Amino acid sequence: MQTRRAPDGSPLGMVLNIQHFCTNDGPGIRTTVFLKFCSLRCKWCSNPESINPRPELAYKAADCIGTKDCGLCLPLCPEQALSASAADGKVRVNYDLCTDCGACTAACPSKALSMFGHEMTVAEVLDEVEQDAGFYTESGGGLTLSGGECLLQPDFSAALLEGAHRRGITTAIETAGNVPWEFMAKVLPHVDTVLHDHKLTDPARHKAWCGADNRRILDNFRRAYEAFPDIRFIARTPVIPGVNDDEDHIRAVLAFIRPWPNVVDYELLPYFRYGEAKYDYLGRVYELRDFDPPDAATMAGLRALIDEAFGRAPADRGA
Amino acid sequence: MTGIRRIAITAGSGFVPGLELVAAAVTRAATRQGWQVVALGDGFDPLLDPGTRAGAPVPLVPGPMPPAGILSTGARIDPFHVRQLDAEGMVSESDRSDALLAALAAQGIDAVVAVVGGSAVTGLHALTVVWKLARKGLPVVAIPKSVEADIAGVAWPFGHDSALAETTRLLSGIGRAARDAGRLAVVEVPGAEAGWLALQAGLAAGADAILIPELPADLSRLDSGAALVVVAGGARLTGLPAATDDPMRASLSPLSDPARPAGAQVFDRAGATARALAGALQRQTPREVVPVSLAALVRGGEVSAQDRQLAAIYGVAAVEALVAGEVAALLSLDPPAVCALPMPSALTGPRTVPPDGALVRTARGLGIRLGD
Repeated sequence: MQTRRAPDGSPLGMVLNIQHFCTNDGPGIRTTVFLKFCSLRCKWCSNPESINPRPELAYKAADCIGTKDCGLCLPLCPEQALSASAADGKVRVNYDLCTDCGACTAACPSKALSMFGHEMTVAEVLDEVEQDAGFYTESGGGLTLSGGECLLQPDFSAALLEGAHRRGITTAIETAGNVPWEFMAKVLPHVDTVLHDHKLTDPARHKAWCGADNRRILDNFRRAYEAFPDIRFIARTPVIPGVNDDEDHIRAVLAFIRPWPNVVDYELLPYFRYGEAKYDYLGRVYELRDFDPPDAATMAGLRALIDEAFGRAPADRGA
Repeated sequence: MTGIRRIAITAGSGFVPGLELVAAAVTRAATRQGWQVVALGDGFDPLLDPGTRAGAPVPLVPGPMPPAGILSTGARIDPFHVRQLDAEGMVSESDRSDALLAALAAQGIDAVVAVVGGSAVTGLHALTVVWKLARKGLPVVAIPKSVEADIAGVAWPFGHDSALAETTRLLSGIGRAARDAGRLAVVEVPGAEAGWLALQAGLAAGADAILIPELPADLSRLDSGAALVVVAGGARLTGLPAATDDPMRASLSPLSDPARPAGAQVFDRAGATARALAGALQRQTPREVVPVSLAALVRGGEVSAQDRQLAAIYGVAAVEALVAGEVAALLSLDPPAVCALPMPSALTGPRTVPPDGALVRTARGLGIRLGD
């Protein structure tokens, strides 16, 4: 994605959302900035609204007033993608016709129609992030860049993280690593903690479940571990039953990360259907509808492998 | 004079039995016009990705019945959003509709008969895709195909009657077994947005209660003494426990919103509605409540006599529509005629069960609980 720039030359970012008081995106209480654009298509993705680099129409039927009392949006769509539902009188969106022009959103009084994603400057984001500075001091938290894949906006991400450091805010990123190395090399000098995904071990299975294989991802992580010894790397795996909840995968990740002393932890994130409703908002099909979260015994068994590899008792494990 | 020399017939995703009958009828009628006919399995996938399962277009000739599966329904690629890996190994989507049109032209295909319509998974996606291709200059006539009979303006889609017969057969057996054993069977049938299949099959099978999306159901109004409750997958139910939330949600998924329409829950997984409903009903009765999901089983029956007729009627009508110069038509049997509807008329919403229509009034007249 070509970097767009503000009149003063600073890079602009396509921001999905700024989430305050996050406790699962790095140390302490954090403010997480979600950027749009991703180079993978994980079937379990909980943020489908972050994949497309452009703003997208989102429709929350629960918030729609209904065409009987409102209907202001209907004549505004140049593609006739909006209509009245015969079942409940609410607006209905044909996403195959919608071009995400956003013409309907301005007229929607209840914000049932809105856009996922908007452009922001570095200063705008930092000003909002800095409002939480008091929480960072007390908890050891800071700014986390997430996505999507925040490394796909390297100019913006680097400027944002560098600006955070200048304001005394510690930084973290969440990345899946499927980017050109140059992008990673540009951003990492401004990062304190890297939360990075090891989704699947086998390249073919990685491609089947995530859209691309993991060869470049692993190469990028290996180079990052070596080139940035002062960064705290924390490996992560979203645990999907039947996909990657096997001991072989966890052991393979441990074999990959344990030689590197700057990889300080390995976290497992049990799969939940957090993003399912948003697939409806976007008119997309959620392919994992029949998947259930992993059971507690499976998670405990896999975590025990990690504790053993890191040479600690289960009680010593961090959050 | 249409200028047509060769046409293709294809089908959108969602199996229904007897698609080869449609292909046979189109072939016989088209051959009488002097046209060649080819079958495209799995929609347009083979033309966009030659490595896919279905392979090259298959020439069809009148006479022997084309084999079952000639119009396979495994289409997965949306030509307007084709997923691909770039040289950098990054996944992206691109519009390859122009490449598809060029591939069709290279095959000498002048027009397409598309057997498409509602799908339990992708809604009206396939119909919308062919409409967008028609807007770009490809003559397309759509034959309506739907198990759920939810295509706007189409009362007689191909595939619904066969599914209705199979659903009725299955419901009758389940109902008999439940009554005999003193159990309550809660059976979910396809019907994400419209309750035609649930209501028609429930009536035919003698259900005690039928819950459909058009009539939000209050569980407290259901009779716990029933033996057979039929529920459409998209039924809106009130009185169920609310979905739970947890703190990790905000961190990992910033815009996730567990809120559902006030007072109602909508379930998206096949079988989930039956399981949730059965769980709630189990609290009201000491009898064993058994959830059952028919899902794709309703597509597995024989081709009904009516669908055999519809295959012939729509096959011939599709060729007649192309001869008449139609370029973006959706066929709809409206006895005694077959109408050529403009495709956009069906893209704005499903055909739903009228709450005051004959079927609903019949159910009420029989004392069948509708949950409202």
